[in-house]
Amino acid sequence: MFIMSFFDWNIGFQQSSPYIGLENYIDVLTDPIAKRAIVNTFVYAIVTVPLQMIFGLAVALLINGIKKFGIIFRLGYYLPVITSWVVVALLFRYIFANTGLMNYFLVDVLKIVDGPVSWLSSRWSALASAMLLGIWKGIGWNMIIFLAALQAVPRNLYEAADVDGANRFQKFFYITLPSIKGTITFALVMLAIGAFNTYTPIAILTGGNPMHQTEVVLTWMYFQTFDALNMGYSAALSMIVTAIIMIITVFLFGITRRKKVA
Amino acid sequence: MKTKNYRLRSLLFEIFKYTVTILGLLIMIIPMYYMIISALKDNATTFIYPPNLFPRLSLLDFRNFIYILENTIFFRYLWNTLIVAFISVIMSAVFSSLLAYAFARLHIPGKKVIFAVIISIMLVPGLALIVPQFELASMFKLTNKLSGVILFYTAWTIPFSTFLLKGYIEDNISKELDESIYVDGGSPFTVYRHIIIPMASPSIAAVSILNFLFPFEELGWSQAILKSDEIRTLPVAISMFFRAHSQTDWGYVFAMTTMAMIPVVIFYLLLQKYFVTGLSSGSIKG
Repeated sequence: MFIMSFFDWNIGFQQSSPYIGLENYIDVLTDPIAKRAIVNTFVYAIVTVPLQMIFGLAVALLINGIKKFGIIFRLGYYLPVITSWVVVALLFRYIFANTGLMNYFLVDVLKIVDGPVSWLSSRWSALASAMLLGIWKGIGWNMIIFLAALQAVPRNLYEAADVDGANRFQKFFYITLPSIKGTITFALVMLAIGAFNTYTPIAILTGGNPMHQTEVVLTWMYFQTFDALNMGYSAALSMIVTAIIMIITVFLFGITRRKKVA
Repeated sequence: MKTKNYRLRSLLFEIFKYTVTILGLLIMIIPMYYMIISALKDNATTFIYPPNLFPRLSLLDFRNFIYILENTIFFRYLWNTLIVAFISVIMSAVFSSLLAYAFARLHIPGKKVIFAVIISIMLVPGLALIVPQFELASMFKLTNKLSGVILFYTAWTIPFSTFLLKGYIEDNISKELDESIYVDGGSPFTVYRHIIIPMASPSIAAVSILNFLFPFEELGWSQAILKSDEIRTLPVAISMFFRAHSQTDWGYVFAMTTMAMIPVVIFYLLLQKYFVTGLSSGSIKG
């Protein structure tokens, strides 16, 4: 793939694939759609990653403290995770369609707006729908990871804190958070990687349309590979994206490690 | 007086806790509910306006489920998926817990570099890996075989699992416990078996739950490699409905998805007991 990115790659053995140096990279970097796709992906990541983690951790904390019917909650919050992306993305497309559940509630049940809102046909509301889907589906994943982590927080620390008269927030910030730091780093890195590899929600909700407004990196890469057959272009794009994720990962490891010292 | 006030406040907090959790639960399961309702309805009524959230019971029946069971080899697909899931989950749990232990505890020259390489494998988009992996698989004659899927799934889930388990071991398992084993003449393997495995069990359960789901979700690779009908896994079989007819029969897709979720739910219910507070023994952390 690294090699492919320097060639005007053609499929098929008969055609030659001339070496074109950095031209693919220049194509990617000067392409307004690629730029927009990268911006969209960044926005998607910046919104969905922290929200998923906060909601997931909140749910894990709530469920961890619930004794009665705990199993129902643990299962209910996990259900979105186990339904396939394709199916939930289709359901969300239906929810946000012009004649879908969301408009039905807003127009006919609550009567807040006069006519149906076309959620999926403008850039930001379509991206917001996709982000909502990403967060909704991600909460259960985070809950599992954090529930496991919470089991290992030593109970005697809480007891000691109770003796000292610490309140819930103090216990959370001084005991719970420091004890699950490794898990937080893990979730942060995994979710950031996941957000940059978002494909299915966008592909099914909007297909990158209207006019490539909602394209994210992977849908654009897919389009270039399979529809435009620009193998070299998409290889260059995927090298650039891999580099971006690598920088982010190193950065995330860096900030979480600094916190450990403090 | 003070205790009474405190009791009232914790009661209020309890009520608040349950309300929030139940409201959240409703939001989480509405789309799921809609999927199951749609699976029980006639196809034509799936995407209508205004949506019919509470259809009369007389409109619901199991015809989509019966169609799937009669016209596809559903149980064969299910069996294939379960075999892939169980073998890859167990292999991944064994390898990644050993790796995580080694990275967290043992002194290995260059282990930071090796760990960074393992993490960076996860950075490459999966889409970009399919072609080179297919060449690798055909070299080892693994195409169109379940073993091809099992080995690659195991390989894909190991970095993720190792990463989580390593963080968990470093965070939560005290080195003093290791040392007490060494003092008693134990080997690193004794530590692994008697300290790491039992104490990291919530975390091992978590990765196993998530890894078990993988064969029920993954489509790109399984579709590329499993060509004969009798060895298909469930996602590949479900995806056939997207292409077989020009108009997708959503009732069948939803019915099959609903059935495919059952084993995952059972596996989750079996393992979630590791998340219940009080089961894992508290660790001594220095």
